[in-house]
Amino acid sequence: MKVVVKAQSLTKRYGKILAVDHVDLEVFEREIFGLLGPNGAGKTTTIRMLTGQTKPTSGTATIAGYGIIHESIKAKQQMGVVPEVSNIYDEMSAWDNLIFAAQLYSVPKIEREKRAKELLELFGLYERRKDRVASFSRGMKRRLTIAAALIHKPDILFLDEPTTGLDVQSSRMIRNLIKELNDGGVTIFLTTHYIEEADQLCQRVAIINQGRIVMVDNPEKLKASMEERHIIEISFSPSRDLNDKLKGLSCVNDVSRLGDKFRLYVDDASEVILSLVDFARKNSLKIISINTLKPSLEDAFVKLTGLSPEVMTAEKEPIKKREE
Amino acid sequence: MKALANAFKENLVKAVHVAEKDAKIYFFKWPNITFGLLLPAIIYLAFSVGRTTEVALTMPGLVAMAALFGAGAIESVALPLERAKGTFERLLVAPISLTTIVIGKALAGFFFGMVLSIGYVLIILPFSGAAVANPFLFAFGILLSAFTFSALGVCISAPFRDIPEAMPPATLLRVAMVFLGGVLIPVTAMPNFLQIVAHFLPLTYAVDMLQQAITGPTVVQAFLVDTMALILFSIVFFALGVLVLERTLD
Repeated sequence: MKVVVKAQSLTKRYGKILAVDHVDLEVFEREIFGLLGPNGAGKTTTIRMLTGQTKPTSGTATIAGYGIIHESIKAKQQMGVVPEVSNIYDEMSAWDNLIFAAQLYSVPKIEREKRAKELLELFGLYERRKDRVASFSRGMKRRLTIAAALIHKPDILFLDEPTTGLDVQSSRMIRNLIKELNDGGVTIFLTTHYIEEADQLCQRVAIINQGRIVMVDNPEKLKASMEERHIIEISFSPSRDLNDKLKGLSCVNDVSRLGDKFRLYVDDASEVILSLVDFARKNSLKIISINTLKPSLEDAFVKLTGLSPEVMTAEKEPIKKREE
Repeated sequence: MKALANAFKENLVKAVHVAEKDAKIYFFKWPNITFGLLLPAIIYLAFSVGRTTEVALTMPGLVAMAALFGAGAIESVALPLERAKGTFERLLVAPISLTTIVIGKALAGFFFGMVLSIGYVLIILPFSGAAVANPFLFAFGILLSAFTFSALGVCISAPFRDIPEAMPPATLLRVAMVFLGGVLIPVTAMPNFLQIVAHFLPLTYAVDMLQQAITGPTVVQAFLVDTMALILFSIVFFALGVLVLERTLD
């Protein structure tokens, strides 16, 4: 398989702050590759280095074989970039934004108008093409930002948190579009803090935490690495906080609460089920439902990073100080 | 050689596209109108109303001032605003060098400054009865002044990431130059130490060149000194602007 994005020992320091720490990555042609990690893990800094927006403190990166530092113009010609916050010009119309993007990539005049029309139609924005972007919703702006990134038909598309802050419908539309683009031959490199998104979209996932890559593999293989752990999901009536009591049961390693259900991470499921029946009887509880589950990517993430899944949805904070 | 020429042409075309985009977005922004169009007129009127100085003597100062404020106003707005809004990243991820981006932004400023200067000339000349002895030198002076002040605009707005940060130092510097650069008071009438300071200001050379064009005849040596000084200032400001911008991108 041909490697189209390659990072070798990519490192970024801001003074004493180490944002990205010797990251090694390889992305293969035509794959959807996800960089998964909590806010502040170094995802955006990594993508900014790979796309030539900021210079690495050390290490190298190549895009389609072109070095991002010394052959940046050629490297940038191969890629489209969709940043976390839509960065199209509010003061210009949707049409003018796409035409300007095409001019930056030297798309010939006839081709650029044809391509702009195609993309605006594809993204459902053609009827609003003459309107100033300032009047667009967040989802429309995100779609236009993606359209602008595709104007020159790039082989590689970088998307930084493509669905963050979008409504369900817009998110679903963008996920479908990513799949369609990939089916059409475009290599996708995306960052996300949504574990489900990485699981649904990506053929391979790199988990990044505190600027370091913890693991790179297929989502299914990451889940399989958790197979020795069993998960039981149980709900009781009346529903109340039973975390501490459940943790006290033998063979239970960890407990998390999900709505009215408790998720128990155990070594031996059959033994724990018997204990749970006994536990319910002793505490005058009725078991509403009980299921054994397969480990999810979220479980793999928790195991690999030691972080709780809740940190993935926490508000973005400045990069935490990390010393090498 | 042909590849080099093609690369040059391609970069120039991209710089023009950046300039066109800036013109479309920023020419009629309110800070440009106040700082670029109105401020030179207000300063000029504040110092000339009630005085008997001939318009022919004060016009070079006004035209140079229009070039100074006009050419710099675009960059003072466009660069920090785009960095604040994140739209500057759109340029950074495109296959276009930082130098070409800055040339594009400077071109927009150059054009705005030139249009403002010519606008002031077209308003003043018919009403004042003043004449321009050397129109070619006058046009060249406007062109070169707008070019230099556009490069200055890039240089002084490069470190800033938002308009409220960028505007005060940019305006302060330009107003100080107006007082020291021979716009309102001839350089020869200033104290000796201020005359020395004036030699380090590009506005001094712009006013001198325009003054020569109006009053004539042209002194070749003075023309060469003014031209060389303005070109040198342009190169230094531009190079410094690109360097500072590059360093503050992180």
